[in-house]
Amino acid sequence: MALSTGTDEIVSGAEGPDEKSEEAPSSKNLAGRSPTQIALERLRKDKVALVCSAILLVLVLLAVFAPLICDWLNIYVDYSNPDAPRPSEVLGPDNYPIIGPPDHGFIWSHPLGIEPRTGYDNLAYILYGLRTSLMVAVLATAFSTVVGVTLGLIAGYARGWVDSALSFFIDFFLSFPFILGALALAPIITQRFGGSSDSLARAQLLSIVGVLVFFGWMGLARLIRGQVLSLREREFVQAAQVIGVPTRQVLFKELLPNLVAPIVVAVSLSLPGYVAAEAGLSYLGIGLTESPSLGRMVNNATNYFENYPLYLWSPVIVIMIMVIALNLVGDSIRDAFDPKTRR
Amino acid sequence: MRLKKPIIAVAAVSAFALAACGGSSDGDSAGDEGGSSVDVNTSGDTGRDQDPTREGPASIDGATEGGTVTVLSASGLNTMDPTEAYYQNTTSILTGLVTRTLTQYAYDEENNKMVLVPDMATDLGTPNDDFTEWTFTLKDGLTYEDGTPVEAEDFVWSAARSMDREAFPEGPGFSNEYFEGGDTYKGPYTGNGLKGFTAVTADGNTLTYKMKTPFPDMPYWASFAALGPIPQDASDPEEYRLHPLATGPYMFDDYVPEKSLRLVRNPEWNADSDPARTAYPDEYVFDLQTESTQIDQILKEDASGDQATLTYDDILAEDYRDLSSTGRMSEGTFPLTSFWAPDYRKITDIKIRQAIAYAYPYADANRAGGYIEDVTSVPASTLMPPGTAGRKEFNPLEVDPGTTDVEKAKALLEEADAVGYEIKWLYATDDDNSVAAKDVVEQALTDAGFTATPVPTTIADFSTLRSDPDTDINVRSGGWIADWPSGASWFPPLLKTTDVDAGVVGANYSMFSEQSVDDQIQTILASPIEEQAEMWGELDETIATEYYPLIMLRYGGVAQAHGSAVEGHFIDNTIGMPTWKNIWVNQG
Repeated sequence: MALSTGTDEIVSGAEGPDEKSEEAPSSKNLAGRSPTQIALERLRKDKVALVCSAILLVLVLLAVFAPLICDWLNIYVDYSNPDAPRPSEVLGPDNYPIIGPPDHGFIWSHPLGIEPRTGYDNLAYILYGLRTSLMVAVLATAFSTVVGVTLGLIAGYARGWVDSALSFFIDFFLSFPFILGALALAPIITQRFGGSSDSLARAQLLSIVGVLVFFGWMGLARLIRGQVLSLREREFVQAAQVIGVPTRQVLFKELLPNLVAPIVVAVSLSLPGYVAAEAGLSYLGIGLTESPSLGRMVNNATNYFENYPLYLWSPVIVIMIMVIALNLVGDSIRDAFDPKTRR
Repeated sequence: MRLKKPIIAVAAVSAFALAACGGSSDGDSAGDEGGSSVDVNTSGDTGRDQDPTREGPASIDGATEGGTVTVLSASGLNTMDPTEAYYQNTTSILTGLVTRTLTQYAYDEENNKMVLVPDMATDLGTPNDDFTEWTFTLKDGLTYEDGTPVEAEDFVWSAARSMDREAFPEGPGFSNEYFEGGDTYKGPYTGNGLKGFTAVTADGNTLTYKMKTPFPDMPYWASFAALGPIPQDASDPEEYRLHPLATGPYMFDDYVPEKSLRLVRNPEWNADSDPARTAYPDEYVFDLQTESTQIDQILKEDASGDQATLTYDDILAEDYRDLSSTGRMSEGTFPLTSFWAPDYRKITDIKIRQAIAYAYPYADANRAGGYIEDVTSVPASTLMPPGTAGRKEFNPLEVDPGTTDVEKAKALLEEADAVGYEIKWLYATDDDNSVAAKDVVEQALTDAGFTATPVPTTIADFSTLRSDPDTDINVRSGGWIADWPSGASWFPPLLKTTDVDAGVVGANYSMFSEQSVDDQIQTILASPIEEQAEMWGELDETIATEYYPLIMLRYGGVAQAHGSAVEGHFIDNTIGMPTWKNIWVNQG
């Protein structure tokens, strides 16, 4: 475990041999480097991490530029554009598209086909769904990290009743049934913010982030608390306490920099979890109904699988690629930060 | 009549006629016989034909006994107490298989019609001159499943029971509407037994029903399970709903409310006295609350163990092509009209109401709402659906029913000086069909120059919000199913002034209130019976051309599927359910 205080670059005994064995032949410079630098160095050499990061970058770009791409391809995710086709123009009476797959072969104007019932373009819907997925995952990760790290730091450092209370609080939340909570919240949100579909869309987005954070910060908080429990007994912390460094400074200047590694790992592994959770909740109909969502698309498409497999496969594959890429990158980051990993 | 379950797009309510007409056995030119299986023009007259002399036993050529029919549905069975059964599924299962009443419907395969025929009574009843007193004579040798004989007093008891609105809040209220003392007698449980009940008297095998107002449609009301025999000493409402005593060919075996029901042969059923029911299968097993997708899957695969399976749910639109190509589908219509009701207090200009009708995206909404065009959604023009007595065919709009004309809507809106007029209506966020339909309607209204404001709610809250006159919306969606084919089951409940200030909306979702219409309804109800049917037809046209209070969205249709061993699964076009009395299992 790295013991550096962040600014001073001290390489610990545990870190030493590891680093030497890997770095010595290529580098003459034996000056200390921060664990983060070492980790990044390792990541650069990890092909899986590089490929997955590239995939993620593409997905993020697709999501960010979804409106431009859709404009350019003339595909639409709602009816607001006068050129957007209406259901009766592109769907037959039995709700299957009358142009493009599954009955009429590939067409360039709708590369992934048309959604039954709404007549939306599947590619456009996926691009916007990707947008929603990533936004929800990033927001949920950011908030749950802040909450988890703060409470974990306090609980681990405080000792006594504060620690007991916070630990109980964490356990209490961990024992809360997540799906049940989400199920109960969905209708309340609709009722409370049901003024118009616009405000509802915003409320749903925030509420799904809220639900994910509400039930997602405990793992990180526990992890951080455990780390702090061992760190606070170390000499540099005790030294800081002895010379009268204020508690706030001890927490954020002495302890936090040493927690960068576990935090980065936790973040990189929670992102795919949240992507999957958003899709799952929307699949159950308790997530997003007003904005495009990959989970909702999967749910809608299951009934059509037999005759229109493309409709189901496309969102499933996108979710799969995104979650696998995020997970692999997360794994690589964990390996890179973990001194015990040998390769 | 209520639908199997509350569906947002339709959400029909019980239809109570305040007086009635039609139902006469004139059976006027039924129109094209044969032809397509779905007769959208006449709906098989939705049970207007009568045959008072038909006698039992009924039989089906080539049918064999044996087999178990499995019935799948996504909705559970509400109460099975005959007095309270008023949903499509509960009513039709009881009257088709379990409980006999005075009259019943028989399916006429040749003309695809339902015909009203006698059941436990010897004929369809004899009225007095002004239809205020009906006499029925019971057949001999009728027994319950336990062998005890059916007494005329049991009909008196069931009629009294059917007036207890507090013990049976979900049941149909026709007895209270028409029977003598309907407004004063509270029923045997809420009131004091039969004390004060004078409407029905029994004398030997003869039953006399006395009315407070002329009731020419009594033979139709007599076909409801609520008026069948119920023995007084076995009829505790808490227990009887779990096991109503069978008089028909099948009786309750295992019954888990809302979940499952097993019907087995009733050895005491007297086939010779029953002119319509048959009993070929050994058992019926109802497996309820099954997912719609799963039902469709089972029926599509038609695996060897599932071939004697049927469903009375509409199949999903996406499964229509697969199932209709198998030839194992039953399509039909039933007297349901779905409409959009603009709030008559708020949208006062008829041009705006007409503009909505021209702007409404009928074809898009069908697809978004999961309807199958021309099968489960038939273009509608008049309030009274095809088959209703006296229905006058006319078109209040200048385009074909079910056609959108954006230019026309724009022009009307400009004429009314109301460009940008705000339309607010409810949709349910937890119903995918409702959400998808909302999107197309919103855009169509915007295209026509309206400001569209869909108001989100949930399935659970939908009907409460809709029936509150103070809800901040100005268009309500609704639907109505007739209990029997008469104009009187349409206009009084839907378009007669209600006390909106006191919060009473009833089924008048448009809050329509015009003195002249109210007067005309009264005039028709007081007119000679034989003239009423035509007058309702005239009224339908007058209202639509002068006030245009309701925008007709669609008439109801059903598309049900069955396994390859099920024979005789036709559609009862009075109620949109299978013709239970004709079903048998082909074991060949």
